[in-house]
Amino acid sequence: MRILIVVQRYGAEVVGGSESHARVVAQRLAKLNQVEVAATTALDYWSWAPHFPPGESMDGPVRVRRFTIAGLRSPTFKETENHLLFEPHSLAEEREWLATQGPHVPALLEFLHREGNAYEAILFYTYIYEPTAAGLPLVAERAALISTAHDEEPLRLLPYRALFQLPRAFGFLTPEERDLVHARFANEHIPSEVLGIGLDAPPWHDPAPFRERYAPRGPLALYLGQVSEGKAVDELVADWIEYHDTGGAGTLVLAGTQRMPLPDREDIVSLGHVSEEEKYALLEAADVLVLPSHLESLGIVLLEGWQVGTPCLVSAHNAVTSGQVARARAGLSYERDDFADALAAVLARRDALGAAGRRYVERECTWPAFDARLEQLVDLVAS
Amino acid sequence: MSDPSLLVVVQRYGDVPGGAEAHARAVVQRLKPNFAIEVATTTATDYRTWRHELTAGIDAVDGVTVRRFPVERPRAWNFKLFERRAFRAGHTLEDERAFIDAQGPYAPELLEFIFARGRDYDHVLFFTYIYYPTVLGLPLVPERAVLVPTAHEEAAIGLAAYKPVFLAPRAIAYNTEEERRMVWRRFRNERISNEIVGVGIEMPADRDAARFRSEYGIDGPYLLYVGRIVESKNCGELFSNFLRLRRLDPSHDPTLVLIGDSEMAVPRDAAIRHLGRVSDQDKWDALAGCAAFVMPSLLESLSLVTLEAWAAGRPAIVDARSPVLAGMARRARAGLAYRSPAEFAEICEVLLGDPALGDRLGAAGAEFVAATYTWPRVVETYVDLFAEVRARLS
Repeated sequence: MRILIVVQRYGAEVVGGSESHARVVAQRLAKLNQVEVAATTALDYWSWAPHFPPGESMDGPVRVRRFTIAGLRSPTFKETENHLLFEPHSLAEEREWLATQGPHVPALLEFLHREGNAYEAILFYTYIYEPTAAGLPLVAERAALISTAHDEEPLRLLPYRALFQLPRAFGFLTPEERDLVHARFANEHIPSEVLGIGLDAPPWHDPAPFRERYAPRGPLALYLGQVSEGKAVDELVADWIEYHDTGGAGTLVLAGTQRMPLPDREDIVSLGHVSEEEKYALLEAADVLVLPSHLESLGIVLLEGWQVGTPCLVSAHNAVTSGQVARARAGLSYERDDFADALAAVLARRDALGAAGRRYVERECTWPAFDARLEQLVDLVAS
Repeated sequence: MSDPSLLVVVQRYGDVPGGAEAHARAVVQRLKPNFAIEVATTTATDYRTWRHELTAGIDAVDGVTVRRFPVERPRAWNFKLFERRAFRAGHTLEDERAFIDAQGPYAPELLEFIFARGRDYDHVLFFTYIYYPTVLGLPLVPERAVLVPTAHEEAAIGLAAYKPVFLAPRAIAYNTEEERRMVWRRFRNERISNEIVGVGIEMPADRDAARFRSEYGIDGPYLLYVGRIVESKNCGELFSNFLRLRRLDPSHDPTLVLIGDSEMAVPRDAAIRHLGRVSDQDKWDALAGCAAFVMPSLLESLSLVTLEAWAAGRPAIVDARSPVLAGMARRARAGLAYRSPAEFAEICEVLLGDPALGDRLGAAGAEFVAATYTWPRVVETYVDLFAEVRARLS
């Protein structure tokens, strides 16, 4: 089967959850199909500055076509965005949204219009950008939308009203995303598949050194990911301090690029960026993995923690990670005022919860299970 | 509880010609008792120019509020050029956008109204898939939109711009089975709620062929055509087919009676009688007496006059190349379709030679119309479709 994947940015060095998912899907599908990717030359989403050369290249078996961006992100984007999201405005203003946000890539749209018929299925990643919002309508009868939608303001904007009615099928990352989209757009009549993700087995890793370092001080609570306010790490730190200062023991270890100031305390350690081996060593050494973020579309780090039998504590404000934890029965979700109690409850049942997590990923996140869901999605489109 | 509200969007509205426009007005009148209806339309009356003719603002037609929005520019004088560019293979998206704007009626304020106020209505009913108000207006309110496409096979429907029109609405009210099949094949949109709705045919109880014959001085058997007399309805071919029949078969001596405005030359021949526009009663009297009704047009999404001929119990002669008319004639077993001038002549000879056959076909046509194209059924179907849309909004 000839399959095209449309995504705003593509490549091994591209950072982003949807973009990584798109690349995984391209590579998995390429085992049995002829897969191509249509993307832009950009590496980052805040400038859309050209980085990759335009034209065709190969990413393993996948043929990648990168199109030149005609409009970078407008310098006035933030003001425009605030105006459109929070103030009365006209239709004409709202029509400008996609181009102002970027990446504005007319050549990619013309390619879809001209060549779209040559593919039996076209998978569009991320509802919000122009390649999907303006591209999917051109080939709607053969399109799947992998929307990676959050409950966020732009989801209310005009370009998306019709978009969510058009595809032949949806691929959702989680059941929570599906429920959000159905509630917002009343489009249950469009078939969908919850894709989730597949995971490789963890690389060789050794948790012993981390255990030896932190165990004498009590439980090890791990946060893994970007250390920033956007990920609500400031809330986690405040909750942790309250827990520790009222008699709680242990260490909070933060592993990931630090983008916010941290208090200078013995019980809070920031390791900065860690390697893949260190990541799994930390996950296995930890007694609990904490994910305070309110906006996660998949929470892949939870799954990685479960691979090595570590339970999770997630913010109850995040429907997606709370849902994941509830489905796997491999942790708890917490409100801010019961962080300490929830933490104690997870620590008390660490091994049982961790084992449940391990069983969950072994059932849901193997490559054969993921490939089967992906195949189902492609069949919904191509049939 | 107050009636659910309904906004009807259509390119022209009121005392304007056009099948789809008449259709919209008839539906509005019938739905009025069940819904709080308003109409959003333009100030144009003529689809060839879309000239700004009527006053913009609030108007009333048949007691229904009509909001007229100005046409900001008339149809481009070189519209055909835009059409050619958009219809050729390898055209660009810009060609399509330019075509939609050039085709008109270009009324941005109408779109702003739908954008700002469309969600104040429980439902928005869009008539005719092809024009600016529907192509650009329907995607603004897809979750409450119902489409009456009045579509037929033509170059425009192949444009990418129309995909959202057929995939985004909540429900589609087709005119015929044939139209639905064509749309499904093109857009794969079977999943959208839909019904064959069309319109209701109403006729006066008193229909008198003799009165028509004496009033217009018509003797002997006659074939009848009702509608605009234009090349685009294939009337030229009808004339040559008919004159050929007259030459080759002198035995029956039929007349061809034409009712409607002419936009082309009608051959000067004693056997062709062009009556121009006539009253509704005269039309029904004429239908009652015809040996057969002829409809040569290839591009019909629903031929109202053909349904009327059937309702009057008369057979129809249609072109086999028209999927809708030939399909309906076959399903109704109420007409015969020709593929060549020779077949046209044969069909006419058979029907003129065997009036009982014409009566049998006509009776089957009357049954077909009574089963689908009656107002109580049309209204009930719309009410059900709208209820479904409303249920999903809440």
